[in-house]
Amino acid sequence: MALLTNVLTQVFITLISVAGVYVLTGLTGMFSLGQAAFMAIGSYASGIFVVKLGMPLVPAIILAVLLAVVVGYLIGYPVVRLRRDYISLVTLGFGEAIAALLTRMTSLTGGASGFTGIPRRTTLAIAAVSAILAVALVAFFKSSKYGRQCIALRGDELAAKAMGINVIRVKMTAFLLSVALTAYSGCLYAFYMTYVDPNGFDWKKSADWVIMVFFGGVNSLTGSTLGAFILSALPQVLRGLQNYRYVIYAVLVLLIINFKPSGLLGEWELTPRNIKRTWNGLRAKLSGKAGKKEGH
Amino acid sequence: MSLQILLNGLATGSIYALIATGFALIFNVLKFSNFSHGATMTAAAFAAYFLVSANGAGLAATLAVAGIAGAAIALFGEFVGFRRITLNHSSSTYFFVSSITLGTLYEGLVTVKVGSNFYNFPRFFTNPTINLGDFVISTSDIMMFTISMVALIILAYVIQKTRLGRALRAVSFDRDTAQLMGIDSTRIIQLTFVISGVLAGIAGVFLGIKYTLYPTLGSLVVKGFIASVIGGLGSLTGAVIGAVLLGVVETILLSVLGSGYSTIATFAIMLVFLLLRPQGIAGSNVQEKA
Amino acid sequence: MKKILAITLALVMAFSLVACGGSTSSSTPASTAEPASTPASASEAGSETSEGGEILIGCLQDITGATSALGMSVQAGAQAAVDEINANGGINGKTLVMNTYDTRGDVTEAVNAYITAVTVDEVSLIIGPPVANIANAIKETSEEYDVPVLGFALDPTCQLKDDGTPYKNMFCFQPSATDQGKIMAAFAVQNGLETFGILYNQENSYSLSLLDPFTDELAAEGITVDESLIVPYGSSDTDYRTLLQPIVSAGVDAIYCPNYTQELVAIVTAATELGYEGKIVCGLDAAPSFNTTYGGDCSNVYYINNINTDDPTTAEMAASVEDSVSAVNKYFLGYDVVMIAKQCIEEAGLDDPAALLSAIENVADYEGLTGKITIDPATHMPKDMAMFMYTYDNQTPVMLGEFAG
Repeated sequence: MALLTNVLTQVFITLISVAGVYVLTGLTGMFSLGQAAFMAIGSYASGIFVVKLGMPLVPAIILAVLLAVVVGYLIGYPVVRLRRDYISLVTLGFGEAIAALLTRMTSLTGGASGFTGIPRRTTLAIAAVSAILAVALVAFFKSSKYGRQCIALRGDELAAKAMGINVIRVKMTAFLLSVALTAYSGCLYAFYMTYVDPNGFDWKKSADWVIMVFFGGVNSLTGSTLGAFILSALPQVLRGLQNYRYVIYAVLVLLIINFKPSGLLGEWELTPRNIKRTWNGLRAKLSGKAGKKEGH
Repeated sequence: MSLQILLNGLATGSIYALIATGFALIFNVLKFSNFSHGATMTAAAFAAYFLVSANGAGLAATLAVAGIAGAAIALFGEFVGFRRITLNHSSSTYFFVSSITLGTLYEGLVTVKVGSNFYNFPRFFTNPTINLGDFVISTSDIMMFTISMVALIILAYVIQKTRLGRALRAVSFDRDTAQLMGIDSTRIIQLTFVISGVLAGIAGVFLGIKYTLYPTLGSLVVKGFIASVIGGLGSLTGAVIGAVLLGVVETILLSVLGSGYSTIATFAIMLVFLLLRPQGIAGSNVQEKA
Repeated sequence: MKKILAITLALVMAFSLVACGGSTSSSTPASTAEPASTPASASEAGSETSEGGEILIGCLQDITGATSALGMSVQAGAQAAVDEINANGGINGKTLVMNTYDTRGDVTEAVNAYITAVTVDEVSLIIGPPVANIANAIKETSEEYDVPVLGFALDPTCQLKDDGTPYKNMFCFQPSATDQGKIMAAFAVQNGLETFGILYNQENSYSLSLLDPFTDELAAEGITVDESLIVPYGSSDTDYRTLLQPIVSAGVDAIYCPNYTQELVAIVTAATELGYEGKIVCGLDAAPSFNTTYGGDCSNVYYINNINTDDPTTAEMAASVEDSVSAVNKYFLGYDVVMIAKQCIEEAGLDDPAALLSAIENVADYEGLTGKITIDPATHMPKDMAMFMYTYDNQTPVMLGEFAG
């Protein structure tokens, strides 16, 4: 039970970050290789606020998320103006710079030894509710005016501009939303792990999140959520395979990308209408099969 | 003293140049950043280590085997990771995801094989350094610099002067039209991967000589990525200039600011550069299409 | 059609996941889908301590990731001890079984691995990692359980809370970073070295933790190291020569490099290329197989070690494993700690966790291959444990003497 609770809590925390990446990559088509750095900012800032400044938990988290959003605005300013190919580079450099900063500021962050002594406050319930709220928020964003504008400019930025969409503002909104979600997940992470070190927030982690989005379906929030769920829990299920488990992980992702490029769910979303339609389709198929069998 | 640092920077830059060119080649043709390049370097270097240098063969044999192994791995990657995506005309983001996953796969396999031990190439030179007046130049640096330059010159010749190179440029410019003009674009893409794999193998051996062999050696691919982007996406000349510049700037910053802050300063310089000159050093402006 | 297939696939995976998780919670022998990591049949894990003929212990190591060479060496040594114990009749007639749990050198993964070991497989005790960050990550979680972690994280914060009391389950079985730094500094001073430069990896907690003890001891001897000659570096720095330049041109007697093996090889190579002729004082990771990895003359390298290869038993064991194990001293640490675990289990049994913890806390004068071990109950680290200083004659290790902490 403890393992299940533990894995689920971590999965839910990851889910919040992936919801952020979905907004950025899935909706807007921007690639960030420095997204994990915002998670680092969230965890370190909230941890420092609580441990070193003695702040209560909730204001500390709010402040940490705000701080991340401010940093996100500064870095987002060039990011949303640069051409797409550069975004991944700039965010990558940003992530490295943040990691370097965290290791340098030894007195505040503990440097490479990590930041210890954070109280454990995140429970499975908190993580689960947060994740559901985050996904709901993103679902709402997707169906809002902004979300539709995001999708429009992902398809063709020039055309979107011609249609009167303020491309820079829409991109910035999406970027900041994803930053806030990622930073919040970082706060939960810090108060769950009770220990953070600067190593775990590199570009590979950001890339992992992008892979989760694609695995589940880059055009479907439901798919991305499912992808995050499966891929973050998979290494735990495969633990028995020892050092082969990341090989298997990679093979699985390659299979999906190659043979089902739209991801597990494609564009399918979890809405009542879609459920009904799929259910009907399934039933028709089943009865069809059953009928065939009887025919024999 | 400062000239010495410049020399150190040039040595680092020449390795970056090899990585960046392999990177830029793929970008040139398929328009994506191939993050499996790093793991290809590692895997090829290890293959060369186990096949020849562990058995006492010299540098030339090691480089040759690494090049062949790199080409084979890159070809395998093209088939497993990118062929279907190319044929489907999927967006470049799929290449990106696929290449990172391929990298994870190679790295995982290398770890399974070598994770329990330390490896290093045998010493290829009896004299580690050559003294030129006040300056110390390491023999391996001179060797790496020379081989890098030769490799890059051969590459430039192939691309600019041969039929194959013209076909490659045509495919890079417009894959479909090239196909219609009778160029087998799949074959050309395979060829590009082979060349980039050879470069990866050589770069992998160099990195191994400089930093010993370990499964995450290829993470230095990030430097190649940075260099090729500053150089101007897909431009080979730009990638080389960008790489040398990156090596020199990094080394100077490192000696002036020390570790840590130099990373931050490199990032700041890169950001300013991209804002001021978004087309990169070479300035070949690839038309942006989302 | 395709969509339905995909959804079904996804659901099957999700369910299998939940099912796995579910069965783990009940810890019945039915949890076959769960990790049967090493030879052990994990399904029997739940009941083995009371009635079965097995005692299950866990080995929490970096089997993959940046420090996998260290983790695998500890694991190999621990496994050798387990095999030896079983060959001699086991512990109180029961067979000792060891499961290995990979942390991937990642703190989140370490917590997962720890919880798997403790709650799913219900191991009796855990052989911990030689990496401080991993120990730091699990120390808070370990408070919730009664499973001791016998590790080698030489940073005292891994064992001690902010208020100075030890985490009840966390133990370190090699001299602390403070002791090791001191020993190396004292040794250097004794050998007439007077001016120092330091090159350390600021992104590595091991390297960082050995910095202050060394300079503190030097200061106690009246030697200060110039600020400009204490040079930090990180993983993205690729040019050791530029970093070493100021130290080498200052003409120091010795460079202190408490770094990992692969970095040391590159650093020593770079120092040689710069024409540096002074000494290089390194930590544990310059022990073999540093010499064979480096492949050149390393007579100017001094290093600290856990084991005494002048001792015939040690030398024989070291010789028999040096081809298969990359960090021989870590092999001995793993071996010793399993033997200590055996002694404690025999003494206290497994029925009362508090008795076992107290037995571990009170390990005294244990004559291990890594020295005489007495655990200080106040710090959960060894007290006055000696280390050995070595150098190389070309590539052959030469023991120079034993130094108390």
